[in-house]
Amino acid sequence: MARFLAGRLVALIFILLALTLAVFVIDAAVPTDPVAANLGAGASQTLIRAARHALGYDQPIYIQYYRFLGRILHGDLGTSLRTHNSVAADLAQFAPATVELALASMILISGLALLLGLWSASGATGATAIRFVLVSLASAPTFFFAIVLVLVFYSWLGLLPASGRTTAGTATGFVMTHDLWRGDLVGWLDGLRHILLPAVVVALGPAVAIGRVLRGSLVDAMAQDHIKTARSKGISDSAVLLRHALRNALTPVLAMVGLQLGLVLTGVIVVETVFAWPGLGLYTSEALVNSDFPAVIGVTLVLGAVYVVINAAVDVLQVVADPRLRDRP
Amino acid sequence: MTALASPPEQQPAGSLQLLRRRYRSRPHRNRPGGEAIGKAERAALVFAAVLVILLVAVPPFLPYSPADMIDVPLTPPSWAHPFGTDDLGRDLLSRVVYGMRTSLASSILVVASGIVVGGLIGLVAGMAGGWVDAVLMRLTDLFLALPGPLLVLAIVAALGASLTHTLIGVAVVWWPWYARVVRGQVRATVGMAYVETARLVGLGRVRVALHHVLPSAFGPLIVTASLDLGNVILLLASLSFLGLGTPDPAAELGEMTARGLTYLLTNWWVAVMPAAAVLLLTFIANFAGDGVRDLMERR
Repeated sequence: MARFLAGRLVALIFILLALTLAVFVIDAAVPTDPVAANLGAGASQTLIRAARHALGYDQPIYIQYYRFLGRILHGDLGTSLRTHNSVAADLAQFAPATVELALASMILISGLALLLGLWSASGATGATAIRFVLVSLASAPTFFFAIVLVLVFYSWLGLLPASGRTTAGTATGFVMTHDLWRGDLVGWLDGLRHILLPAVVVALGPAVAIGRVLRGSLVDAMAQDHIKTARSKGISDSAVLLRHALRNALTPVLAMVGLQLGLVLTGVIVVETVFAWPGLGLYTSEALVNSDFPAVIGVTLVLGAVYVVINAAVDVLQVVADPRLRDRP
Repeated sequence: MTALASPPEQQPAGSLQLLRRRYRSRPHRNRPGGEAIGKAERAALVFAAVLVILLVAVPPFLPYSPADMIDVPLTPPSWAHPFGTDDLGRDLLSRVVYGMRTSLASSILVVASGIVVGGLIGLVAGMAGGWVDAVLMRLTDLFLALPGPLLVLAIVAALGASLTHTLIGVAVVWWPWYARVVRGQVRATVGMAYVETARLVGLGRVRVALHHVLPSAFGPLIVTASLDLGNVILLLASLSFLGLGTPDPAAELGEMTARGLTYLLTNWWVAVMPAAAVLLLTFIANFAGDGVRDLMERR
């Protein structure tokens, strides 16, 4: 196991390096000269050359990459062209809202996926009809869910708010966690009402995808001999399903969880834009609209690293769940 | 992705892996009555064909141009304008039809580029074997491990928002699965007796690769591509929604939806019609993709 973990760790470092290299190449591909743009149109050639030298743009490309890497490792992601703050500080300010949204979505995803998977695998009435509904849900773009839910629950029924995190106004920081910590139930419920719609929209797609995989692997697991043995011993159907089949069905589900993550990250950007949720997604979409390139690069690096690290963790979890996978090529 | 989205059909790179696995693990799904494919899939295949013909043939005959301001802005759906008009008084039906055409055509383009680039890399890796194979496949794995949709965002932000740049960005990250599919098939075929015979007869490497080995990968390639199309439609729509497509007045479904958000609570149709069109496209693409898979497995 130690050898396996060490191998995974080395692979993880390589993938993270590849991520920084990819972002560096994209950064270098920007058609405008960052130095000339920074100095303004009236700058003389001498001034531009001096600034290029001072900023290291006249160095060989590998030296530039080395410096780029050094800056990232020191947490320097540049300065946003829109907010004029350091990108790292901006990200730290907007991240908590996204983390809370992601947590709420994860809770919904686990619950919904388990429900969908168990229901459709149990062969209960209506299980075939579910497939049609699942494919329909799977086909819907995130923004379609978002606008339909806003129209129904906000505009039509008037049950839930359509934007922001609290009634009091835009808020950054861990609002709900903070309310819970202080025991402010009213504030927490207000936060819950605001987080419900965006979290459902983020969760629906991944929940359906994971639910479908869970159904497939449950059906396979239920066909195994040890399940027949368990049944013939007289264990009830639900106990067989939950205790014997579900555990063995989890490996492909974990793989799907890792695969869904990239989609969740990008889905969050769309959802936060629709619901004016003051997190990394809204920050990104505003950066995109305003051509705030340093901010886009910063978000890509940070969210990309999160994606890579979580995927590596899911990989390891798969092996924990099924040690036979360790010898997989 | 995508920004975007979710289940196997709905999601980009990741879901494909899973679909491939499903495809491999159950090559012969038995259906009651020995039907080749299910009713829903057959209907979707027919519907997809009809839709493609309509999208190609009908636009020139639409009464209004997608760019002309022909009526009072924000007119609700009516007989004259079945989808209503947008905030500039343009006919939404025309805009949605043109948007669907752009959406489908660009998605097919992205998938085709994935097939060509990935196919070439997979073919070279599979034919060469040894260190060439190892290097190319490690590179493919590396690309698969990176968050594709996020990188596309950065690429398009760097190049500037336009449909062309979005297509370039997606194409850059979209080939790895196709490389894997082709490489796997090529490795399985390359040792077969008839390939060996072709070599012994003295045929050149390129000829053997293109005429004798590559055709074995066509089936899995078609299945992968048809299951992938819905993902690409969703990803492109989401990128356009975030402002990375061609700006107005071009008719793009994602951009039209984002524009309609401003009027969502007063004039719902401006945002809902283009969003529903994306749903329709991906829905048909997903079911038709299942249909194509079932048909190919049957053969």
